[in-house]
Amino acid sequence: MSIVTVQLGQCGNQIGHELFSALCRDSRGTHGLCSNNENQSYQDSCKERFFCEEESAVPAARAVLVDMEPKVISQALSMAASSGHWRYSSHSHFCQKQGSGNNWANGYCVHGPRHKEAIMELVQREAERCDRLGGFLTIMSMAGGTGSGLGAFVTQCLRDAFPTSFILNHVIWPYGTGEVIVQNYNSVLTLSHLYHSSDALLVHENDVIHKICAQLLNIKQISFRDVNQVIAHQLGSVFQPAHLPCAVSLSDMSSCGFLLSGDLLESLVPHPEFRMLGLRNIPQMAESSLPYSTFSWPGLLRQMLIANAQMEEGIDWQVRPPQAGSCIPCTNKALHFNTSIANLLILRGKDVHSVELGSFQDPSLYTSWLNPQDAFTAWKTPRAFNKYEKSAALVSNSQFLLKPLDSIVGKAWNMFASKAYLHQYTKFGIQEEDFLDCFTTLEQVISSYTNL
Amino acid sequence: MMQRDPGRCRDMQGIADTSREMQTHPGRCRELQTHPGRCRHIQGDAGSCRARGRAGAPAVPPPRGQGALPRAGGPEGRSRWSPGRRERRDARAAAGAAPGAAPGAAAAAGPGAVCRRRGAVPGPAAPRPARPRHPAPRQSLDFWKLLYVLLKQIHGGSWTESDAIGAQVRFVQWALWYHGYRRPQLRRLPADGSVGSRELLLAFSWLLHCPGLLQRLLAHNRVQTGDHTSVCTCEDDVPERQEGPGEAGPEGRVDVRYLQWLHGRLRLQWCSLHAQHQEQCRLLHKIHSFTSGSHMDQNLGHFSVTEADLIRHPENYKQLLQLLESETTQLEAFLEWKQLEPVYWQWMETVLDDMAEEGNMCVSQDADVEKRRLPEVTSCCPWAARLAGQMDRLSRDLLALQEQLHQLVAQRKAAWWEKVAAREELQKERFSATARKAQESTELKLRGLPSLCAPQKTRMHGLCRLVLRSKQPASKVASGQCVSKEAAAALRAAEVIRELQLREASLQRELQQLQQQCRTRLDGIAEGLEGVICISP
Repeated sequence: MSIVTVQLGQCGNQIGHELFSALCRDSRGTHGLCSNNENQSYQDSCKERFFCEEESAVPAARAVLVDMEPKVISQALSMAASSGHWRYSSHSHFCQKQGSGNNWANGYCVHGPRHKEAIMELVQREAERCDRLGGFLTIMSMAGGTGSGLGAFVTQCLRDAFPTSFILNHVIWPYGTGEVIVQNYNSVLTLSHLYHSSDALLVHENDVIHKICAQLLNIKQISFRDVNQVIAHQLGSVFQPAHLPCAVSLSDMSSCGFLLSGDLLESLVPHPEFRMLGLRNIPQMAESSLPYSTFSWPGLLRQMLIANAQMEEGIDWQVRPPQAGSCIPCTNKALHFNTSIANLLILRGKDVHSVELGSFQDPSLYTSWLNPQDAFTAWKTPRAFNKYEKSAALVSNSQFLLKPLDSIVGKAWNMFASKAYLHQYTKFGIQEEDFLDCFTTLEQVISSYTNL
Repeated sequence: MMQRDPGRCRDMQGIADTSREMQTHPGRCRELQTHPGRCRHIQGDAGSCRARGRAGAPAVPPPRGQGALPRAGGPEGRSRWSPGRRERRDARAAAGAAPGAAPGAAAAAGPGAVCRRRGAVPGPAAPRPARPRHPAPRQSLDFWKLLYVLLKQIHGGSWTESDAIGAQVRFVQWALWYHGYRRPQLRRLPADGSVGSRELLLAFSWLLHCPGLLQRLLAHNRVQTGDHTSVCTCEDDVPERQEGPGEAGPEGRVDVRYLQWLHGRLRLQWCSLHAQHQEQCRLLHKIHSFTSGSHMDQNLGHFSVTEADLIRHPENYKQLLQLLESETTQLEAFLEWKQLEPVYWQWMETVLDDMAEEGNMCVSQDADVEKRRLPEVTSCCPWAARLAGQMDRLSRDLLALQEQLHQLVAQRKAAWWEKVAAREELQKERFSATARKAQESTELKLRGLPSLCAPQKTRMHGLCRLVLRSKQPASKVASGQCVSKEAAAALRAAEVIRELQLREASLQRELQQLQQQCRTRLDGIAEGLEGVICISP
């Protein structure tokens, strides 16, 4: 089962490159305490999923690189080739000579249709090289020009061309105090268009990652490279193979052991209105400290529940689910409590099979119309990830993005109401009605999440 | 084997159904009564079918009700409660699980014994056993278990010895209902399985006939080539309404968001399945194209998945051989049953006569145990008769409409062609081009119409084996080894695809209509609400 990655724009290409490096490094790395057979299946599965074996020994990433400028792409290509362990295919990139000037409309209405044929042909070629196409992963930033506008257009084309494949959009949420004036417009437009075409939006907020780098990793001068590496590490901990707890024996694993990306989507985003996913990964620490740290599973999980500040806010372990027949459950919960629709927990490393997960199945964490058995899924693998003896990742479909989303929509609306910078969009074909549609979509999303 | 010897397969299809298992079933029931330990012979897997066959062999103790016995009690006193009659009734009730009547019992003793006894069977008036027997719970239990095992097999499930009797009873009742068996007496049997052996006998005979229990078992246990795909272009019949509780009360209300959640999961799982199917097809194509020209059978020309696997893992040949042998044994048993089948149905007739005398049901004249659906249905669902009448009326109206439409179309066409001819004379080329375009588009639209009201076009249904034809590399030909009774025909994949596309187009149209209706309804509702703006999706 293979995933084709589409890297869009400067941000997308840089992150994509880091992601493949992390995956390759982990796959070739030490396998901790799991058996050789398990490790072998793990490596095979990872390779099949993200890389394509070619006649030359170095595997080629299943990726299509798209950007309007040549600089970032050529950097990515050369860095990959020089690593010696993987590379990009020689003809899987598309770039032009000029940029898009951070203009969403330029990317969506001009560059998109103009280059649609070329880009889709590259994607089609990658897709045909897969025996089983699991789906598409697109990586882009929400606020820029190329990544966001062209990315939204490409996602739509992907949906049209592959109506039954999964599409997971990985979007980078801009800094709250970002430098691009129109980033709110871009974000609103991107989000609403992606909401229609893709199956799930996996969001990384720049602010949060920045905080991780500063506080947990103790990096003084945080560069984009550091941020990207953290993001790649978190993505890798989700996408690397894992399996359901019931498949304990090897014979289970060999047949259809490692879960497909469809299962990830199935457990988290079946509902069409709730598509936003957030990601938390524990532990995050500098590589230098790794050899000196040991963790216990209960400690790790408790730390995850607490460190994930949105989840911890207001969580009162005395809260019991409301009695049947009482008034609307929402009023029982603290106003800023983060209600989840669904959670997926991925555990990797030593002693995974004996972990107690009761705290994640507390009904007070979840919305009233879904019971915890449906809402919570856990994947495990004894194979360690990236030298961490034990690590856990939580992918969560919850209200965590409500506040940031609300603030972005509010700011964008204020700008829209005063018609600031609108001419830059209208001159390329995005009319005010399109803006209004986008606002409507996002208001609907906000209200759905608020009423959990 | 079926593929290598299509002639033989056709013979199989020409013959109606049973197998040695069925022939030995009455005997096996009897065995169960006498040898409860032999329950274990009823295994789901093919490998032990040989054990089954052997169980019916002459090692079995001779049947109880031997030979042609005179009617106990004689023809005198044909009142309902004469001792002879009661005795017979009791005996036959007991015989429900373990037919002591000679044909069944004789059949139990193996084919040789049956053939010997055939001469002794005196026709429809089957001999009665000498001793009356009261129905023992053990027999019913075993009969329930037998049906449970058989039905589980054809429904693809697995079973264990330890399945509770309550679960078995429920499953059998459900499976029978699913296949269309509507006899209410069966539903009323208690869940501990202690009584009801005669009802079960009736149900069993019905299963033999209507859903073709034996064909299904044979098909289920067939050795797979791995190349099969299922084809189904059947139109959906009117869905059966489940009898059950009416509208769910307030406690039964489900949040619509949960339903949306479930629907989304279903859709995503369907997408996964689709991707897996595509992968399977791709790999199958690889196997077929790589091994083309290597097969002994010129008709096929390439290996199937099983054969290709055997080449890679030759040590598996033993297993395959065993499977083929057991399949052969099953088929041979089936043939034997076929020869003895009339005897069984004759005996069943006597059972039915007996039940008719008790005034339980109205019996059809056929030898087969064919249940009349309508009386049972109307007793359970009073609206069914009305629905059937309405449907008849509707179909009549539709046919009439179709006639009118055809006439109208013909008239319009004629008028139009006159106009076109007149016009064409005026402007030659440009007009004919537009006319051609218009004609094509109307043809497209009309092509959709007949599919909506066509009476009964050929329906393809069943399993087909995929065969790659090298002469026309663009097309795949499927040679049908269909499970249904139609003659084995070769279907072209292109035809099947076209049929399915037409069906898809018509379903899409229907979906859009329904969505439009929902939209207008929503708009109507939203009009009535104050301060609400409804934005349709």
